[in-house]
Amino acid sequence: MLHRSPSMPLILLVFVSCATLLFSITQGSVSLSITDVSSALRSQGSQLYQTLVWELRIPRVAAAFATGALLSMAGALMQILLRNPLADPYVLGISGGASVMVLGAILVGASGIILSGAAFLGATLSSLLVFGLSQRSGQTTPMRLLLTGVVIAAGWGACITLILAIAPPQKIPGMLFWLMGDLAYAHSPWLAWVVLAMVSMLVMPFAKSLNVLARGPLQAAALGVNVVFLERFVFILASLMTAIAVTTAGSVGFVGLVIPHMMRLILGNDQRLILPASALSGGCLVTFADTIARTVIAPEQLPVGVITALIGVPTFLFLLNKGRM
Amino acid sequence: MFLKIALTTAFTAMLCLANVWGQCVVDDKEHEVCLERSATRIAALSPGATELAFAAGAGERVVAVVSFSDYPSAAQEIESVGSPSRLDLERLVALKPDLVLAWGTGNPSEQISVLARLGLPIYYVEPHSFSDIAGDIRDIALLAGTETQGDRAAQTFLNGIAELRSQYSNKPRVATFYQVWDEPLMTMNDEHYINQVVELCGGINVFADSSRLIPRLNNEAVLIKNPEAIIAGGMGERNAHWLEAWRTFPNLLATQRDNLFFVPPSLIQRPTPRLLEGAKIMCQRLDLARQRRN
Repeated sequence: MLHRSPSMPLILLVFVSCATLLFSITQGSVSLSITDVSSALRSQGSQLYQTLVWELRIPRVAAAFATGALLSMAGALMQILLRNPLADPYVLGISGGASVMVLGAILVGASGIILSGAAFLGATLSSLLVFGLSQRSGQTTPMRLLLTGVVIAAGWGACITLILAIAPPQKIPGMLFWLMGDLAYAHSPWLAWVVLAMVSMLVMPFAKSLNVLARGPLQAAALGVNVVFLERFVFILASLMTAIAVTTAGSVGFVGLVIPHMMRLILGNDQRLILPASALSGGCLVTFADTIARTVIAPEQLPVGVITALIGVPTFLFLLNKGRM
Repeated sequence: MFLKIALTTAFTAMLCLANVWGQCVVDDKEHEVCLERSATRIAALSPGATELAFAAGAGERVVAVVSFSDYPSAAQEIESVGSPSRLDLERLVALKPDLVLAWGTGNPSEQISVLARLGLPIYYVEPHSFSDIAGDIRDIALLAGTETQGDRAAQTFLNGIAELRSQYSNKPRVATFYQVWDEPLMTMNDEHYINQVVELCGGINVFADSSRLIPRLNNEAVLIKNPEAIIAGGMGERNAHWLEAWRTFPNLLATQRDNLFFVPPSLIQRPTPRLLEGAKIMCQRLDLARQRRN
């Protein structure tokens, strides 16, 4: 697909992202008017409104956007790396490793920052395990990587079931919410934003090489791309992004699989466009979904993963049916 | 002139008194909680905490509760801030509580730490014994400035328990299985306060020595222990079908003697003053089991 101005969709998406962020800050279970919110944003007006906006809404909205952006970009990278349309950030067992560590930590009574540490440790451990095991005489084929990842993910799945089976009943709700992905537990969005910015800066210069890699390693090598280096690089970045997303919000499903596909359906398969577009639209989807999750049946709160899927599935099917794939 | 000085002195003294009202108590997590003035807007983040606050005479000061806070009936009129395991923080903060009664094992610690960061005083309610329940009532009453009512409620509760203890705890032992849940089959070990109720009534919890607080079992484990009485709790107020299932095991002593009893879970599975009622019912049931020995 050709665009007269390739940056036009991105400008549009930046605009939509800003609108989504602002919209989400104005929405909550306590209804604040636009003027209340805007004066609170300027640190004026009622102390209560300032607390609501600055201490509760903005950190959560920021965490939601960063989580969505990280997952979507990680998904797009995984799909290129594995050359498999079913790949998502979790396919290689990263969220499984994180979940096992977090559930184990909850089981022994840990909470707060230790859970984030456990999630990151589990995610890193799992990706190192997958990468180490999929090596054979210094070479990794996507098929081997994928199979190793899927089997390790299944192993983690068994551990999760085991922990849920032996956990004391009062700890199970906390565990389930973590497994479903829930931004009520997000501590601070800063780490996610820093990693998002850092990874974006690192990966964008390679977007052109990724376009070639997506066509196959032989073609890429013939065109002078250092395939081994690029594949490892992509693997590390995607793992890091997934680890941080899972650390921030638990395993929010679906976003990382569907958003990159949606972007390809609309924008074509140019990574220079797809990667930033995925990040922006993934951020919007999770932010919007979380706004619904915390307001639709307030004061009861829903896990964000439910809403991402409920919005994403019909939208994706609609795009698929319109038929560019 | 003298009158003026006296008035000024009295007024100053009153001001000082008002300023130094400050009360400190220690909560169930051993944290010290201090308030400068008595709590007038209390957020109770578990159904049990709501009951304790009402028992302490501070019911009118409760401005926020969570789902399932169904007792006393006045609690149902109070605004809910979501389920205990996932709070609507925004709504909670907007209600401007000046004391939060948190539930250590039920509320997400991340959300409670946000409340603490916003400067709200947090009192953890997590009673593990009869004296904890009375202590919590007294503490909440102290923080809310309703000591008279709180002391009375705490004393009534402790007296009732002491009465049951003198009446039943020295009677012949009844090997008892308390069924917390049916699928999976669950009970509790001797660290749980329900175990204390069983012992108070002169029963012996057949799973007292389990390593876990809430062990999960299968029917076999219960058959081997062969309890003399089976007491079922559960979620609803009528769970006779849990007990019917035990009738399929005619070799079980409890089945043979028809010692299959139901105690309404709301009276026993919440550590609140209503536990006294639940304990009374359990003691009567176990006593019935003793009478059926002859």
